[in-house]
Amino acid sequence: MSEGAPRPRVAALALAVGLVLADSSIVVLALPDIYRDLGTSVAGVTWVLISFNLVMALAAVPAALVARRVGPGRSAAVGLAVFAGAGLACGLADDLSTLILARCVQAIGGAAAVTAALELLPATVGSERRAATVWAAAGAIGAALGPAVGGVLTELVSWQSIFLIQVPVALVAAVPILAVARHEAATAVLEAEVRPSGRPHLAANVALAMVSAAIAAALFLLVLLLIEGWRLTPIGAAIVVTAMPLAALLGSRIGPLVPSARARSAAGAILVSGGLGGLALLPRAEVALTLPPQLLVGVGLSLVLSALTETALGGRAPQAIHGGWTISARHAGVVVGLLALTPIFTADIAQQRDDAIDAGTAVVLDSKVNPLIKLDLAARIQDRLEEEKGKVPTIGPAFEPLPENSSERAEVEGLRDELQEQLNRGATHAFSPSFGLAAILGLLALVPIGLSRRIGL
Amino acid sequence: MNAALRAQVLVGAAIVAALALVGAYLAAGGSSYAPEQTRDPCQHRPWSNPESLSEIANQFSISALDGAACQLGVSRETLARALATPEARERFSRRYGIDDEKLARAVRAGLLRAVADAEEAGALSPLLGGPLRTTLEEIPLDRAIELIDNAESLLGNVRGLLGPAGELLERFLP
Repeated sequence: MSEGAPRPRVAALALAVGLVLADSSIVVLALPDIYRDLGTSVAGVTWVLISFNLVMALAAVPAALVARRVGPGRSAAVGLAVFAGAGLACGLADDLSTLILARCVQAIGGAAAVTAALELLPATVGSERRAATVWAAAGAIGAALGPAVGGVLTELVSWQSIFLIQVPVALVAAVPILAVARHEAATAVLEAEVRPSGRPHLAANVALAMVSAAIAAALFLLVLLLIEGWRLTPIGAAIVVTAMPLAALLGSRIGPLVPSARARSAAGAILVSGGLGGLALLPRAEVALTLPPQLLVGVGLSLVLSALTETALGGRAPQAIHGGWTISARHAGVVVGLLALTPIFTADIAQQRDDAIDAGTAVVLDSKVNPLIKLDLAARIQDRLEEEKGKVPTIGPAFEPLPENSSERAEVEGLRDELQEQLNRGATHAFSPSFGLAAILGLLALVPIGLSRRIGL
Repeated sequence: MNAALRAQVLVGAAIVAALALVGAYLAAGGSSYAPEQTRDPCQHRPWSNPESLSEIANQFSISALDGAACQLGVSRETLARALATPEARERFSRRYGIDDEKLARAVRAGLLRAVADAEEAGALSPLLGGPLRTTLEEIPLDRAIELIDNAESLLGNVRGLLGPAGELLERFLP
């Protein structure tokens, strides 16, 4: 930050960027609660995520143009107000359509705030390069922290609180920005010094889209695996996925040691893919085994997102327009990732659930437990399946109460554990193809990263 | 360390970390962590030397389920859950388009297979096998459906299931 840079303004702008970009992933941990509450399906509730990211992708560049026309201070302040108002509507929505519509409006406000923030930052921190770094770091940390914050709020309060709490936060961020708006004349002096608008950095933006698709998959699928597959509570899952932002902080320490943005991009994409490959090959349903892959994804996303954003913005003006392109690329990538992977894992999880139930029932049938107990268990397993239709069931209650006879009790407990193991296997295996595809997407990002220098994009 | 070397070290370290993780998880069995496959009900399932009537009843009902499931083209496990309650049977019938008559025929075929398996395993004397088969072949459809409805007797009470033949079965235990 330049000497005398107004810290509250920088903090407000970084907060605005972090808040908006966190919003693209903050509802991930709340999705299971939302679809239970609003009575929809996994595929349907995915649109709470997709709609926000799709509108962000479409609105980012036009929002940047508007910011250039009406003034970035005004655009950011209005954007944050719209974001807050739509957040309130999201929190009060009692059906999926209203929620999705409000999310779309929220994305329009968010796009205005984020792109205008990038236009305001150079004047606030004193240089374009520094502004790009602050902007990219705030976005990466926001995106990585989003799921954990959302999970904690869902568990401690409700899924609605995720949106309602954004209202005061957005308004707090808007206050110093309003003051910035009054100094737009000073910003205009800096604008006059920058070069005219050039074409977007194609390779960096394409790579950004591909990596974002892979990262979205990592966050979205991992959260669903933890909550829907392994039956963790939202707060439990939030604690687990906190490993990713913590690793991202580590990555943000490593990044400055390597000046080459291309090397950081390539290393980041490789780490993200390696982490996703690890998640695709989990050898057991144990939370601890998700930590090494999360470490790789977290460090990787920090390196690759900031390096590609810097590359896309570097030496290009106006920053807001090129920032708009990077926002557009990132969120388009998230949309493509979600649209491509959701049907795959939805189908897989249904198939694997059936296979797991069959495998568990086979264990019950082949056991030496009294046939009358077997019959009773078969009926109760079937009841659990009906109660938790379409989901991976919590099978423990089907085995309650346990027989009083100690040997029968031990046998039934063994059967319960074996059936649960089969369900864990099924749930974990159901996510493997999606994680694997996401890993391939991350690796494919190496193509535009590698080509960027050769073709001079 | 100069900038170019740092870049190479970073990319190299990323490749090593990614390969190490994937390799370690593969070595720990990550590629085969999936639900165990259930057996084809049409394949013969050998009996494991049952000694008591309860064990014979157990194997007998498993063979019967296998035979019925094979006839219906579903897994033994799916059929077992379907027979657990009348509601489950109704859902099963709707899902697979199988009416009660077809289900009853399949269960009767399953019971006959169970007799054959019991004979092959030496758990049932051939002297009893013939009359038992005749008894089962003559079980009317509504009686078969009744047996399906009352799955407890199907799985838990061979004597109840076979009537007089069950008494004989007990007498001819090896």
